[in-house]
Amino acid sequence: MSLLAILGVLSSAIFSGTSLLYTTLGEIVNERSGIVNLGLEGVLLVSAASGFAVTSLSGNPYLGVLVAVLAGGLMNLILAYLVVTRRANQLASGLALMFLGVGLSALIGKSFVGAKITGLPRFLLPGLSNLPTVFSSLFRFDILIILCIPVAFLVWWVLFRTRWGLSLRAVGENADTAFASGRNPFRIRYQALFVGGLLAGMGAAHLSIAYTMNWGEYMTGGRGFIAIALVIFSKWHPLRAIVGALLFSAAVAFQLLLQSSGVQVSPFLLDMIPYFVTLIVLMIWGGTRRQSAPASLGRVYQGTE
Amino acid sequence: MIVFAFVLFGLILLLSGKDPIQSYKDIFTSTLGSPYGFSEVLVAMIPMMITALAVALPSRVGLINVGGEGQLYIGAAFATWAALTFKDMPAWALLPLMTVLGMLGGALWAFVPGYLKAIGLVNETITTLLLNSVAPKVIGFLIFGFWHSAMDTVKTPNFVEAARLPTIFGTRIHLGMVFALILLAAFWAVMKYTRWGLEMRSIGGNAQASKRNGLPVKKYLIIVMCIGGAIAGLAGMSQVSGFYGVLLLNFSMSLGFMGFLICWLAGGEPVGILIMSFVVSVIFTGGNLLQLTRDLPFATINVLLAITLFVVLAQPSFSIVREKKK
Amino acid sequence: MKHRSIYALLAVLMISAMALSACAPAPAPTEAPAPPTEEPAAPVEAPTEVPTEAGPCLKIGALFGGAVTDAGYNQAMYESVQAIKQNIPCVEIITAENVPDEAGATTTMENMISQGAKMIFATAFNHQYPALDLSKKYPDVVFEHAGGWEMGENFANYFGDPVNAWYLMGAAAAKMTESKNLGFVAAFPLGWTLTFANAFELGAQSVDPEVKTNVAYTFAWGDSAKEAEVTNSLINNGADVITMHVDSPATVIGTAESRGAKSIGFQSLAAQQFAPENWISGTGYTLGDKLTWLASTVLDKTWKPIFLRCGMPDGCVAVAPFGPKVPQEVQDFVNQVRADLDAGKIVPFAGPIVDQTGAVKVKEGEVLTSDVMSNVDWFVKGIEGSPK
Repeated sequence: MSLLAILGVLSSAIFSGTSLLYTTLGEIVNERSGIVNLGLEGVLLVSAASGFAVTSLSGNPYLGVLVAVLAGGLMNLILAYLVVTRRANQLASGLALMFLGVGLSALIGKSFVGAKITGLPRFLLPGLSNLPTVFSSLFRFDILIILCIPVAFLVWWVLFRTRWGLSLRAVGENADTAFASGRNPFRIRYQALFVGGLLAGMGAAHLSIAYTMNWGEYMTGGRGFIAIALVIFSKWHPLRAIVGALLFSAAVAFQLLLQSSGVQVSPFLLDMIPYFVTLIVLMIWGGTRRQSAPASLGRVYQGTE
Repeated sequence: MIVFAFVLFGLILLLSGKDPIQSYKDIFTSTLGSPYGFSEVLVAMIPMMITALAVALPSRVGLINVGGEGQLYIGAAFATWAALTFKDMPAWALLPLMTVLGMLGGALWAFVPGYLKAIGLVNETITTLLLNSVAPKVIGFLIFGFWHSAMDTVKTPNFVEAARLPTIFGTRIHLGMVFALILLAAFWAVMKYTRWGLEMRSIGGNAQASKRNGLPVKKYLIIVMCIGGAIAGLAGMSQVSGFYGVLLLNFSMSLGFMGFLICWLAGGEPVGILIMSFVVSVIFTGGNLLQLTRDLPFATINVLLAITLFVVLAQPSFSIVREKKK
Repeated sequence: MKHRSIYALLAVLMISAMALSACAPAPAPTEAPAPPTEEPAAPVEAPTEVPTEAGPCLKIGALFGGAVTDAGYNQAMYESVQAIKQNIPCVEIITAENVPDEAGATTTMENMISQGAKMIFATAFNHQYPALDLSKKYPDVVFEHAGGWEMGENFANYFGDPVNAWYLMGAAAAKMTESKNLGFVAAFPLGWTLTFANAFELGAQSVDPEVKTNVAYTFAWGDSAKEAEVTNSLINNGADVITMHVDSPATVIGTAESRGAKSIGFQSLAAQQFAPENWISGTGYTLGDKLTWLASTVLDKTWKPIFLRCGMPDGCVAVAPFGPKVPQEVQDFVNQVRADLDAGKIVPFAGPIVDQTGAVKVKEGEVLTSDVMSNVDWFVKGIEGSPK
């Protein structure tokens, strides 16, 4: 188990965890305002497909990222319309959004399967250029990876240090009270969902444009649901989400390391561990207690009738 | 309003360069226009009805079971174990064994969420969702580790004849249809006529009041959740035994979630479940032909389904009526 | 006010999404960048032209497990089927992509037959049993399945045999590697996959006995994220030449290229575009002529169920052009090995062959047969990785 292999696990975790982190951050924003987005998988798919398509058409990966981000925001707005304005059930609406995403992304991406794109350019972290290529190529990061931790901090700062963030959390705890204190839950939830969608779009963009540089149907492989679990694991806190995303994505890389060291552990077992840990974490800290989940998560805010 | 959904999808088809009128014609002729097509619709309906029921029952006591996906996988796994281990058993013994095991598997998978909810620790929505993601990995572990056929590691060897639910008249409609119909009828009867049904509705309406009135709320929550899981497990068993004849990795195309949506659309009523399963099944089965004739990726049909759902969900009266019903 | 802006946004989303899918460019080039170095050697039966006033002379249905533009297995199968139409213009081909599992295959084939298809090409591994069952139900339709083993009265199996080509690629890789460590990204530990890896390593050993091959699994036929992971992991373990047995080589090769590793392609010659610099060579299935011949026998009613297997000399498996960094001497060497393989002077699986534990799997003087190759559950000595 050489140094290269261990660093390789770290590098892998960072690469595949970036998209997970962005998506989780987006969902944290959503859920902090009280809305669960079960359709996250669909949002990711549509963003990934649109971003990939635009990159392929225009040859410009940055444009693709922009489109992916916007697509994510727009998809979430559909959810916002259903759940906030129409007061539909969040779970059903989310699932319907998921189906929409699966179908729409297939339609968008159909002409682009197997297309070759120029992915996001990768930069070497300063000071590492003296290492042999094999090492340094581990740490050639694209702009989205470099930004993901700052963005996590930004989300934390917005949620906990700005007035808007405060209102958002207030709405998430109890929409009626928030309304009574002069805030507009409807507008705030729309904004939260939009921002959450933008972040999810960034995650999807990284997956298709920067990491795999490929598009295929269902390529997100359950990341949407992993993100929902991660939100719980990180107790709705953006900074803990960083650790969570790293852990979840390190599981795959770690399993490969074991494989090549001759240890035969079923990859499926290893993949299960993060979920069980999340479950245990939930049981210990209590998912229905006030300190963790936003209290009005999942409930429909009726507004004043 | 549903017409609006069809029009919108037609617009999308048009923009993609396909002929919407012809597409809709294709959907309807391939499903309702031929006996084979119609039988395919019925085949697709079977798991949808059962998974919808797996959501409907727990919803009566106020439980939200989004875990159908996972429960049906585990039910399928248990049934598969029996199918692979008891290859020489005759069908009249093997099939009931598989059925019972399927239900047991699903119930087991629902037990933990039910229990955690009953003792007030964790929301069952979250736990069932988490376990959903774990279930396919369990299946993967079992298939790769122990059950895979020599030729292909993605699935088990084909089930023996005795392990397969019999089909009707040369179509692919299998005995699972009978299961589904019996369960629907039983559900209706229990809710309407038995004391349990009354007590469940009472707990679903106001758990606190029911507890004060002496109803064993915790027991109900756990048991009903487990029964819901058992039903979903049965769906898994019927798919694996009746439809596929083999355990395939990721065989469920979001069946559990589809069931959730159908139950939601039907308001948790058995007749509604029957009708909505039929409608959704027509859409899906018809979509299969679209791929051949219109050169659309098969997944596109999800868009029609989703738009239809949106339109229904967006009805304000619809949603509020549902809320009040709870 | 809120509603109107939402509708507007929705409309924008829908329209832009649809516009994207509508005005898409031509898909990834389906031609290899340069014509393959192989001329099909098998004689092509002159197609019997049936005059067509009333529709096509033959309707063919073809189903694929994935996307036909995947630059991999499905694309190779698709192009092979399309070659029929190029050779016999009066034929009509109905295609269905992304039909991975059995149940979907049955429905798709039924639909095709109801549309008048009289010949079905089921190209994915999982299509075998549904096709076999349907062949009993429709005795007047001819079913051809790719990559299986069953046979029936109106059901046959065909495939290319790339084993020799893998040996060849192993030799090429060994010539180009500096770290003496080759990486093989595999989907599942299936018999044929192990055989390919074994052939690869044996070919490498024929050049340099110290070269090792590292095999790692993604446990999926087409999971790009996993493929990227596994490729990176192999490279991190020291491999500097990467090859694979997954559905589409695109991600594996693209990732290898981005890490500066060399690559050898498989499934389809279209893979080369993903590694413009560090490509060594590759193989792809080019079954077009054989399929044309099969279709022509259906047309003139002389079709018989044949277990069709053909390799490099028959034109069923083509070798890709060399990449820009391959020196001329290596190219000459590889071409020589190829000539020897075609002539039968080199037989990859001729004994003695020893497995990872040291046990003799093929005795001196024996040769491994095709049947055994499909059921292999061991790796030759020199491969690191688990065969299970």
